[in-house]
Amino acid sequence: MAADRKRVAGPETSVAPLVEYPIDHQPWTPFTEKRHNSHRQPEDLRPIYLKTGLISEANGSAYIELEKTKLTCGVYGPRPIKRAGQGFSDRGTLNCEIKFATFSCVKRRGTMRDAQEKELSQILSQGLTPAVRLELFPKSNVDIYITVLESDGWGSCVAAAFTVASVALAHAGIEMLDLVAGCSASYVPTSIPSNSNSSSSSTTESSTGAGSTVTPQIFMDADLEEEKYQQGSIVLAYMPSLNQTTHVLQTGKAEGSIISQSVEHCVEACNKIFAVMNHALLESIDQKKL
Amino acid sequence: MATPAFTFTPSTFQKLHPAEFFRRFTTEGVRPDGRLLDSFRPTTVHHGVISTANGSAMVRIGGTTVVCGVKAEVAEPRLDAPDQGYLVPNVELSPMCSSKFRPGPPSEQAQAVSEAINRVLKESKVLDLKDLCIEEGKAVWVLYVDAVCVAYDGNIYDAALAAIMAALNNGTIKVSGGTAANDENSFKLKLARTPLSATFAIFDTTLTILADPNVTEETISDGQISITLDETGLLCGVTKIGAASCSQRVLKDCVQSAKKRTLQLRGIMNQL
Repeated sequence: MAADRKRVAGPETSVAPLVEYPIDHQPWTPFTEKRHNSHRQPEDLRPIYLKTGLISEANGSAYIELEKTKLTCGVYGPRPIKRAGQGFSDRGTLNCEIKFATFSCVKRRGTMRDAQEKELSQILSQGLTPAVRLELFPKSNVDIYITVLESDGWGSCVAAAFTVASVALAHAGIEMLDLVAGCSASYVPTSIPSNSNSSSSSTTESSTGAGSTVTPQIFMDADLEEEKYQQGSIVLAYMPSLNQTTHVLQTGKAEGSIISQSVEHCVEACNKIFAVMNHALLESIDQKKL
Repeated sequence: MATPAFTFTPSTFQKLHPAEFFRRFTTEGVRPDGRLLDSFRPTTVHHGVISTANGSAMVRIGGTTVVCGVKAEVAEPRLDAPDQGYLVPNVELSPMCSSKFRPGPPSEQAQAVSEAINRVLKESKVLDLKDLCIEEGKAVWVLYVDAVCVAYDGNIYDAALAAIMAALNNGTIKVSGGTAANDENSFKLKLARTPLSATFAIFDTTLTILADPNVTEETISDGQISITLDETGLLCGVTKIGAASCSQRVLKDCVQSAKKRTLQLRGIMNQL
């Protein structure tokens, strides 16, 4: 890859340092049936802080914080499509771009947009498009830019991105059918599977290995440590007042009953998040009045 | 006297003739946002906001918000400097923070600010790069200092430099996990000095100098002066951009004002 000449250049390659742990160090495992670093019950979410209007130059903006997960979002538009060759469109388009700050993860991320960011951007625009009344602004484009300042768990990051983007859209005054709330859940086995051919069963591979019939526990809004032990996860984007789902992202292995159960949990959680979103938007109206 | 046939509301006037609208204020000694000509916007500094970074800080100057995170990695040293680490500062002006910026590679402004900050850090020897040596000729630390602009409302240089200095100031390189904090391979970054800056916008026609320009003031100004000073009051850099002329007296006044401002900013940075 050609050197990036538009940035202050460092060495060609560098690696993250390996962290040494003392011998008596005991990392968290789900087998103690407790959640990582908190007194949460499996179905509990982390407390959400949501605020609108931190970017004065944007049409709409919002900031969300779920303990360590921190995202900001700026919405610009509707503005006319400038690029030629796109042709006439009687519906507006929604352009989502999500960027992880280089310092947002445990390992440093690149400055260029990588494949994961492109995929996430796609997921977000797919999940948000059904909620936005795009027929109201033909020939125009709405840009949603999200920056992840700190990520503590991939699933919760995607879910928070849905929530923060739809609040920013509403703050920008873009007409929507409903807000989109996002929620994530992980399927984490909470006991060591009694699997005869794997004695070192504390690794993730063995708990997902063949023959293990441990019913996993559904951990709502899992953080990074909990995700390390997950068999699979689900991210649900949901419109609470219309009672409709706009996006489901299920990965990993799980039985149908677990999946439908976690969807139910997510819907329930989305209704709670919806209350927080409403509260943040009402606050922004009060601010405008002052 | 006949009434004028055509009148503007103030907001229309501002949109049609931003410079004239602005001049009407400055001749009265105030600015549209209520500030005096020489006053800076309210500033806040928060330390250690990002737990995944080795050091981090958030700086807000008015509507401008910058979050800076330091990430330490290991690399081979340069052949010509086998015992020196790397300090790589970059400022990112993403399309999120203002409609001025487009997605894609860094804009010219972002490159200019990154380069200016790199020069200040390098030339005024903020960090002894030999401190970052792990084993000579084999491995050194690389400090990636990335400042992300979250919200842009002018004066990015002051905000980015302050955020970078604050983040470096609480930067710790830790190679052992768990609770044992005092092992020999972990260390706190030692800064030789802490340069901070103050920026002024110059208006040629009215010969006014405005401290800490916001985004509208930046766009209609003729030029800008940034003055960077360290804690002893020594100059670390003076940058003037734009075609505006600037007399010696004006420059002296700016340095005096910058001394006061950086002292105040230092006070804000040091209170935890």
